[in-house]
Amino acid sequence: MEAGSLLLQLLVNGLINGSHYALLGIGFGFIFAPTKITHFAYGPVYAIGAYATWAAATMLALPLALAIPLGIVVCALAGVASYLFLYRAFVERGSTPLVILIASLGLFIVLENLIGIVFGTDTKVVPDAPSNVILLGPIVFTSLQAAQVVCLGLVSAALYAFLAFTRYGKAVMAMTDNLEMARIVGIDTARVSLVAFAIGSAISAVPAILILLKEGATPHMGFTAVFMGFVAMIIGGIGSLRGAVLGGLALGIIENAGMWKIPTEWQSVIAFVALFLVLVFKPTGLFGTKARR
Amino acid sequence: MDYLLHILVMVTLFVILATSFNLLIGFSGLFALSHAAFFGIGAYVTAILATKYGVAFPLTLFASVGFTAIIGMLVALPALRIGGDYLVIVTLALQVIVITVILNWNSVTGGTDGIRGIPHIAIFGSNLDSAAKMLPLSALVSAISVWIAWRLAHSPFGRSLRAMRENEAATQAVGKDVVAMKVQVFAFSAGLAAVAGSLFAHYISFVSAESFPFDLTIYMLAMVILGGTGNLAGSVLGAVLLVALPELLKFVALPPDVADKLRNVLYGLTLILILRARPQGLLPERASASAAAGETVPLAAVPIGLAPGTAGQVSITGRTLSKSFGGIAAVRNFDIELRRGEIVGLIGPNGAGKTTAFNLLTGFLKPDNGGVNFGSRLLTRLKPHQIVRAGVARSFQDLKLFRNMTALENVLVALPRQSGENLLYAYFAPWKVAREEKENIGKALAILRFVKLGEKAGERAGNLAYAEQKLLVIARLLATGAEVLLFDEPLSGLDPNTLEEIFPVVRELARQGKTICIIEHNLDVIRGLCNRVVFLDEGTKIAEGTPDALIHDPQLAARYFK
Amino acid sequence: MNRRQFWIGGLALAAALSAATGQAADPKVYKIGAILAMSGQASLYGTTMSQGLKLAIDEINAKGGVNGIPLEAVIEDHKGGGGQEGVNAMNRLLTIHGTKIVMTSFTAPTLAIAPIADQQKVFLMNGGGVSPKLVGSSKYIFHNRSLSSDLANGALLYAKELGLKKMAQIHWKNEAGDSVVNAAAPIWKKLGGEIAATEAVPQGATNMDTQIAKVRAANPDFIALWMFNPEVGLAIKRIREFGMKQPLIGIEYTPNDAKIAGNTSEGFLYINDYFQPSEDHPWSKQFADGYKKKYGVDPDFYAANYYEGVYIIAELLKRARARGGDYANGEVMKAVLIENPKFDSVYGGQMVFQPNGVAFKRVALFKVEDGKGKFQKFLDLK
Repeated sequence: MEAGSLLLQLLVNGLINGSHYALLGIGFGFIFAPTKITHFAYGPVYAIGAYATWAAATMLALPLALAIPLGIVVCALAGVASYLFLYRAFVERGSTPLVILIASLGLFIVLENLIGIVFGTDTKVVPDAPSNVILLGPIVFTSLQAAQVVCLGLVSAALYAFLAFTRYGKAVMAMTDNLEMARIVGIDTARVSLVAFAIGSAISAVPAILILLKEGATPHMGFTAVFMGFVAMIIGGIGSLRGAVLGGLALGIIENAGMWKIPTEWQSVIAFVALFLVLVFKPTGLFGTKARR
Repeated sequence: MDYLLHILVMVTLFVILATSFNLLIGFSGLFALSHAAFFGIGAYVTAILATKYGVAFPLTLFASVGFTAIIGMLVALPALRIGGDYLVIVTLALQVIVITVILNWNSVTGGTDGIRGIPHIAIFGSNLDSAAKMLPLSALVSAISVWIAWRLAHSPFGRSLRAMRENEAATQAVGKDVVAMKVQVFAFSAGLAAVAGSLFAHYISFVSAESFPFDLTIYMLAMVILGGTGNLAGSVLGAVLLVALPELLKFVALPPDVADKLRNVLYGLTLILILRARPQGLLPERASASAAAGETVPLAAVPIGLAPGTAGQVSITGRTLSKSFGGIAAVRNFDIELRRGEIVGLIGPNGAGKTTAFNLLTGFLKPDNGGVNFGSRLLTRLKPHQIVRAGVARSFQDLKLFRNMTALENVLVALPRQSGENLLYAYFAPWKVAREEKENIGKALAILRFVKLGEKAGERAGNLAYAEQKLLVIARLLATGAEVLLFDEPLSGLDPNTLEEIFPVVRELARQGKTICIIEHNLDVIRGLCNRVVFLDEGTKIAEGTPDALIHDPQLAARYFK
Repeated sequence: MNRRQFWIGGLALAAALSAATGQAADPKVYKIGAILAMSGQASLYGTTMSQGLKLAIDEINAKGGVNGIPLEAVIEDHKGGGGQEGVNAMNRLLTIHGTKIVMTSFTAPTLAIAPIADQQKVFLMNGGGVSPKLVGSSKYIFHNRSLSSDLANGALLYAKELGLKKMAQIHWKNEAGDSVVNAAAPIWKKLGGEIAATEAVPQGATNMDTQIAKVRAANPDFIALWMFNPEVGLAIKRIREFGMKQPLIGIEYTPNDAKIAGNTSEGFLYINDYFQPSEDHPWSKQFADGYKKKYGVDPDFYAANYYEGVYIIAELLKRARARGGDYANGEVMKAVLIENPKFDSVYGGQMVFQPNGVAFKRVALFKVEDGKGKFQKFLDLK
């Protein structure tokens, strides 16, 4: 295979991985932007989405068409529960974001280890996950990878509509702009926070389930997820749906296409080097959104 | 016994890490996620020097500190240009880059194998090859490191750091070089982390990349926050607790196959419960002790700090200033001249460009065109803090007080030329700093009394009534000692009684020769205070004259005064 | 004192001393420490290793223990992390449990505890860490696990036999993977082969599409997988999904990998310590059955290694006790091991500890058929 088609394949890989990161970034950002809660436990909640689907598909032997929505619902509930039983009390007491971050770290540790205890530490796979190989000239991908890209499109479109046209969507935007002001104009911020946690967690279940079908689930899978989701959100600019999508895609594409001529042992670092350089020369961020404090 | 001593050695190391991290997180408000990387760089420098070049302690330690401090400064440099969120990315990038370089630079770092056989510290003929022998040294070094951090945190430099944490623009506006401050605090924090790294390498005698993961930074962050941000004793406590807790949990008998995961669950729950009980951390930040001690200090005369000169003399001139944002001109060909002893009002409708004009005069914005002269100096090239030091200071419409600091501290920060802001003095001439600090407290109290806030000196700025906060803004501006004072709506939202109290203050300033310019909407204020008024609309000066003349101009009245 | 009296006195003293040391200092229970990845990203290893270890201890205790003294496992967690976790665990084992017999795993924690082992005379048995750097890291360390470099050697000899020339390798970017690459490259060149691509994946990085795309572009004759559970299964799956049909050769294949790879693993070749529970090898079978009964899953060979390690330690304790004195420590255990380095192996037959401390076990080639590794043949690595 000549070098040109390798680059093409890497770009496609980048688009696929980038879609995964973008979905993570959207979900994380959807919680962070209005609530200002650094939901570190987003990672294990994401894993819960995968494990719930796995349990439904294998232990209850449900068809995937049922197991997947169930997984999404369980994940959303887990997100809501984390707000109700953990964050709400901190928010009501006016705790600083850093304190909430560490409380979230506590929840992360608790959930990740509970998953390991309940489900064991081996990889959970759904044995007959549908995955067809698709060939487009020299390019190869699987139907599950295509689903990652398609899901990004669907989720971001749905989210865009939600933000633009629904009452809750507008409330989320208002809180994103100015949490204090939203409170003053009478928005029930606790309720909107719940909605944000429900939707953000449900979004995270989508990439989680796709990973379960593609690679299987492990108790530790949430760590990379929250890390990359966080990075994608920051790159894109907090509170920007478009930014998170572009940020995630940029991450994925740099990580893959960047390896065209560079040895792969540098893969984990290349996106950060690129980011570093961009920020040195364009301190206002990648997509022109102004850096916020 | 060895076990307990070993844990104590680890405690001493984490005390260094947590306190140094608190300098960034708690005192400076710099959310940097690279502390594990600094720790790791320190450990590797020592490991490489000791195994490859036979360098011995304490030279290894000094080299680690120096090198890591330089890396810390390098990270700070790009980070300086960017704010909050992106600092997270830059420091995360450092973390990832450091680990990847360690893993791949085989010839120097040993790659994935790490470096083993690092010699133990040999001191006074004794080889510190056990926890028992290591503990006295690590405890001593740890104590010294905490002292270094403490000196920094509680010097005037530390006070400026806290001001920067509260509000960066306001810190510049009182004449502080925030860039230099960030570089220094990064260097100190990274250097101290390297102290722990160097001791760690000598003690464990083996280093590998696995010892310095991103998770470790989060773990240190938990120590800082659990202990209490902005309180070094809190960090010490946080380090002790979070190092000891997992070890204590080992004594909880649990079914062995899931024991360690269950212990982690308990660990996580403990974190949450402690934070629930103590949302400010175990030892919350306290207002500086000097505020309480302040009352005993002899009062100096009100330090208005006048330069020689006569009333009516031109002090600052802006010529053909222009600034546009995205093609929209905010200020166009704006000329202004301010004289000593004069109070000028800058008026105009909302969005007329008044605040932009202030930003241009004080360097917070660079003009597209035109220049600002102050005496013989051209200000346009200077940075905001340099302009303040040159003698032109401004306040902000949204106050930008340092809310979590006391009223006294708000004023103290603004006092110019404090030798304690130079860390060389803070460490090597503490007596000089202490003496000067006493005088400064006297000055600050005098200024507070001048604005009738003497009683509130020890109160947190955020807790003051709105009118008091406005007075504090004036006090803070006065403390800079600047000759030109630009007030952005200093009196809006105040009731007439309060205004009556403030008017004389401002007039007195002018009488003593200050150059004053006020952005104001309230006609009573303008009539009551101003000698001259400049009317700005759509970025252009459209009229200038005495207050009465302008207010009675029918054209202007139609546009603005209604 | 004349000369005669002197000699008599001396003899009496020597006799008294030897009587004192001849009395073996028996503990109430033999504590066997183990420093494993019980939590964190790699905790799957901790699970299987500790399960194998505990099965052996239960079996031995059910038969009355060793020298009539029961065994007890003390399992410590190094979280799969760096040196300090290992040192914490080691100090706990020494101080709180007073044991000087420790089973260890992973390279970094083991390298970090090696100096303590030397100082305190702790017997170390490693059944997991594979880096050649571990060999000789302590005076008292032994390995009942073939070094990955030996396994790679076997894999490459077989590739040569198949007449393959262009190798692409995908490896873990950690000491385990790097050590194989460092060993494999020179061997393959010596065998006249060519290396078309070398790609690194971080341990735990489930996504290796970039690496596989680059390998595909290099168009190799075969692909060597220098990585371990669970990435082996993922790599096999993704390589096949990329439409590559070349032979895949690896050095590990666990039930977990089998689960992940599903039917894509058909034909996967791997070189490993020979482990084939069958009627021919009653101990292997007994172990595999016992394990399945107790834990509900098939053992992988890490479980087998730690199971076997306990039996080696039990045998050494028997021998060491005969020496008397304080015997449950590295000094004595090492001496009695070297005396006769042959032990029964749960892999069937016997294994022999070589002077460098590494057990020489039979290594065999396996091929995956119907999801399970089928024995093909033994490989002579000498």
